[in-house]
Amino acid sequence: MTAVLDRPDTERVPRFGQLFGRIVLAGVIAGALAGAFSLLVTGRAIAPALELEEARAAAEGAGHEHGEELFTRSEQMFGGFLGTVLAGVVLAVLFAAVYGAVRHRLPGRTDFARVMLLAAVGFGVLALLPALKIPANPPAVGDPATVDTRTAIYGGTLLCGVVGVMLVAALVSWLRSRGTGIPTTAVAATLAIGVLLAMVLVFVPDNPDTIAADVPAAVVWDFRLASLGQLAVLWAGIGLAGGWLLDRFTRRPAAS
Amino acid sequence: MTSSPHAQRAAAGRGRISVPAWAWAITLIALFGLYLIAQDNGQVLQSLGETAHEFFHDARHSLGMPCH
Ligand SMILES: [Zn+2]
Repeated sequence: MTAVLDRPDTERVPRFGQLFGRIVLAGVIAGALAGAFSLLVTGRAIAPALELEEARAAAEGAGHEHGEELFTRSEQMFGGFLGTVLAGVVLAVLFAAVYGAVRHRLPGRTDFARVMLLAAVGFGVLALLPALKIPANPPAVGDPATVDTRTAIYGGTLLCGVVGVMLVAALVSWLRSRGTGIPTTAVAATLAIGVLLAMVLVFVPDNPDTIAADVPAAVVWDFRLASLGQLAVLWAGIGLAGGWLLDRFTRRPAAS
Repeated sequence: MTSSPHAQRAAAGRGRISVPAWAWAITLIALFGLYLIAQDNGQVLQSLGETAHEFFHDARHSLGMPCH
């Protein structure tokens, strides 16, 4: 039995359609796993924030906060599951196109290793980076008046991350083309990531909101951890399921 | 065996995949769709967006997108 990370004896290049189907299936699986995490963990972390909102609305009298009457809590929990599955599919579609375009440039001896690497990059840029710059907040924290500013910061951070990855990739391939060894290249790439990350944290504007005094720190902290955990499950699922499915396929010798 | 397994592997494993234009089109449509259901604050979908926003509200918050 061959180990997962070793070099296969025969490896074929998948056609894009074959790659696309497997990665999107992985997106459905990953979305369902992260959706289950949402039902079990994140949804529960949201509950105290919603209670706080209701308490505020009751205190103000005729509170109309965010149309709680539109959906029941269990319907919203289901929406959280379904929305996460949809996000998994959308991210998998993006992943498939990018993986198809860069597969021949990715280090790694197998498709499993390459898919895992790209999924780790995806988690770093699309989940961890915004979590550092503009961390997720539960309901009852954000100021509705600043939502457009916060959306711009979030989008700008994602964009900076994508540009940053391309810069680091360009640096790595430039160093490798000059014959620089892997240790030196790894050190240079890590330094470049550190500098770029610091630039994003310093130069992209901060979240303008202050967290209201009636929101317990534990409510915000638990929610942020749960949110990051959910995104980690999503990206780990895309990497593991997508890598496993694709690796199995590319190892099989093409039918002749 | 005419060429070494190593050479075959290098040729096959590192070959380029051509990504068709439809894949990028679907990617853009999917990302825009995700924006509509998760992030739209009524700019594009008006009241339907409000309903979608409320239904997917948990997902919007838990995936780290800015909200109220
Ligand atoms: Zn909200």
